[in-house]
Amino acid sequence: MPRQCVVEPHDMAQVLDPGSIVVADWHRSADSKEFFSRILHKKKRRNFGLLEALVMPPNVSVDTVHYKIFISGKSGVGKTALAARLAGLNIPNMHYETTGIETTVVYWPVKLRESGRVLFFRLQLWDCGENALRRFDHLLPSCKEQVDAILFLFSFTDRASFDGLSNQIARGSEPCDRVVKLVVGTKFDLFMHTDVTEREVTRFQEVWGLPVFRMGGDVSNVSNLGEVAPLLNCLAEHLWHQDCVATRSTILPVSTQSEAANVVHV
Amino acid sequence: MMLQQAGSVQLLCLTANSGVPLFTRGASKQLPFSVIGSLNGVHMFGAGQGVVLAGCETDRGGRMVWRVFQDSVMLIAVSSGGQAQQEGGGAGEEDLHLRRLLENVWNCMVLVLGQDELASLRNVERLKRDLRSCYRLIDQLLEGGQGQEGIMGDLTHCADCLLPPNATLLQEGLDGFTQAADSEFGCLMVHGRIATATEKWWRLAPQEVVLLSVLARSLSLSGSASCDTPVFLPQGSPTVAHRLLRFQLLPGADVCVLCGPSPTLHRSESELVGCFWSPLLEALRGSLAVGERCLPGSVTLRPDVLALLLINRESRRSVSCVKAIITNPNHPPSDHPLPSKARCWELLRLFYTFTTTRYFPLEESPALTPGEKAQRGDSLREDFALGFSHQPLQCYLVTEECKCFGLQTAQHQLYLLTPLSVPTFALRSVATQTLSTITLATGF
Ligand SMILES: Nc1nc2c(ncn2[C@@H]2O[C@H](COP(=O)(O)OP(=O)(O)OP(=O)(O)O)[C@@H](O)[C@H]2O)c(=O)[nH]1
Ligand SMILES: [Mg+2]
Repeated sequence: MPRQCVVEPHDMAQVLDPGSIVVADWHRSADSKEFFSRILHKKKRRNFGLLEALVMPPNVSVDTVHYKIFISGKSGVGKTALAARLAGLNIPNMHYETTGIETTVVYWPVKLRESGRVLFFRLQLWDCGENALRRFDHLLPSCKEQVDAILFLFSFTDRASFDGLSNQIARGSEPCDRVVKLVVGTKFDLFMHTDVTEREVTRFQEVWGLPVFRMGGDVSNVSNLGEVAPLLNCLAEHLWHQDCVATRSTILPVSTQSEAANVVHV
Repeated sequence: MMLQQAGSVQLLCLTANSGVPLFTRGASKQLPFSVIGSLNGVHMFGAGQGVVLAGCETDRGGRMVWRVFQDSVMLIAVSSGGQAQQEGGGAGEEDLHLRRLLENVWNCMVLVLGQDELASLRNVERLKRDLRSCYRLIDQLLEGGQGQEGIMGDLTHCADCLLPPNATLLQEGLDGFTQAADSEFGCLMVHGRIATATEKWWRLAPQEVVLLSVLARSLSLSGSASCDTPVFLPQGSPTVAHRLLRFQLLPGADVCVLCGPSPTLHRSESELVGCFWSPLLEALRGSLAVGERCLPGSVTLRPDVLALLLINRESRRSVSCVKAIITNPNHPPSDHPLPSKARCWELLRLFYTFTTTRYFPLEESPALTPGEKAQRGDSLREDFALGFSHQPLQCYLVTEECKCFGLQTAQHQLYLLTPLSVPTFALRSVATQTLSTITLATGF
């Protein structure tokens, strides 16, 4: 019998201050160049096939940690666009409903603040069209299977998507597994048409204790790391923290970490 | 003679019995509601008189075709007409293109939504909303050849293939992978074309194979790593959805399997993909290197071949390629510049349509009843061809841009473009030689 699960706003895991575990804005430092160059190709983000791995020079040893992230939100809020934005792929400017699950892989190098150790996060984003999800029962369980984090999306131009957040969060939170939760408000660039006020967002953040990100903007400049860095760093930070808490230690040698975070040597 | 592209096409979808508009796609300028009403009205009027209105032509060269599917949905395609009509002929050709479009659009609606929802029309408002999930594929079909260069399957209903240099190895890998995923239906796509597929995949209806390729290409274009998409098979399983799992092995190389409820996407990706495909990395790279030429490096084409489409009539597969045109800077520009690569693809489609409308039989699915055939307007084939007691085996056409030669054997159809500089009398030998070069080297 599965445990009944009631989500109260303050059950939520602790929100970490940006930069408390990983170096914020590391992509701007000179010492990150050799790592970020691995995820770039001709000034754009590199697209990796499933059989490809990041390759570093033989003298540099970096571990890659794998995570599964589910992107949840109403149809049209911009789940597919966000996945493309985070991966540096072309962002669709038309809304074509996603007819099933599409996953996108994002590699992101991170420097741990205390140890100075560098890790590659391999974040696999699971994007499922909301209408498909309603029509076919097997899709939601598949998205939630062994998930490490959920991004709950609302759109600044769609009031109903903001009001529906608590239902979304409840749906994503059962059973009460260890899952990092983040909220992303999309289409923040369309502030002229905004349907959700700053006050409401702040209030929501206080009540639920979840980090809220504002995304949106020029869709053509796909290799703009600065635009996606805060969200990816925050995600990495919370995922890493979650694993550390799970193994009850903050600075872990990699060998004992492998259970929790599927560490893979490259 | 000039081969002309069809004008922009608008697609209308209405309920068949009451004419309620369900959606329109294509052409930036929408037809006014009153025109849509009349288009529906005139078809209904015909039906009242026991006449099936299949298509018609306006005096300014616009074409339209109608077709009702499952007594529930009517699709109308309206083409604003290029200049084809003034150049003589054209009407029949455009019809083939538009009829194929309607058939493909319907199949794609079934693929995404299933036949039950489309046929029952219980809740029109809900259907309208659900139909939006088909727009991505429909728009892609409307783009036709312009969407992705070198894809012909939507027109020929033969699967676009790429012949990899290490076919046996890949076939074994695919068979093993498919079996491990509890399926018999697997397919490896390279550059959007089928490099190899399991025996069962090839036994799907040809339109289904083509349609699944369209879907797999559209999923692959987004750059995603893997997908789990519910699909209904228009012929094989129109009411029960299967799952199409797709994995991007390398950018440009995707493997697809059609599954039942298991395995999950997560499990197949983490347990099966690496295990079956990592050992084949070099073989995959080798087939990617074939590029959009679709033929292995061992096949050398004559220098006077500009572009070709080769169809295997029995297996309903095709390969096509346009040669990269190297202009010699030391030569003065000739009077007849060679058509661009994009134009060659377009010309290939137009020549195929021209030939199958007039001379060669169209490859059709055996599944169609005679009634359905009449519905599709096959009777519109040019009287010229119908008047013949024999089946033409070869034909040629000299246009202002290139020369074209069509060749038909029991097993193959070859459509070939050459530069104008090739003497017309030599076309036949260029074609026969090209056909035997390819078939001998690849067994296609
Ligand atoms: N201006 C702007 N438009 C956006 C943004 N994010 C998404 N859009 C647009 O919103 C529309 C819908 O976005 P999608 O990402 O396709 O929506 P979705 O959430 O995947 O929808 P479903 O697949 O139907 O569940 C598209 O036209 C996007 O271009 C943004 O941040 N700014
Ligand atoms: Mg989507």
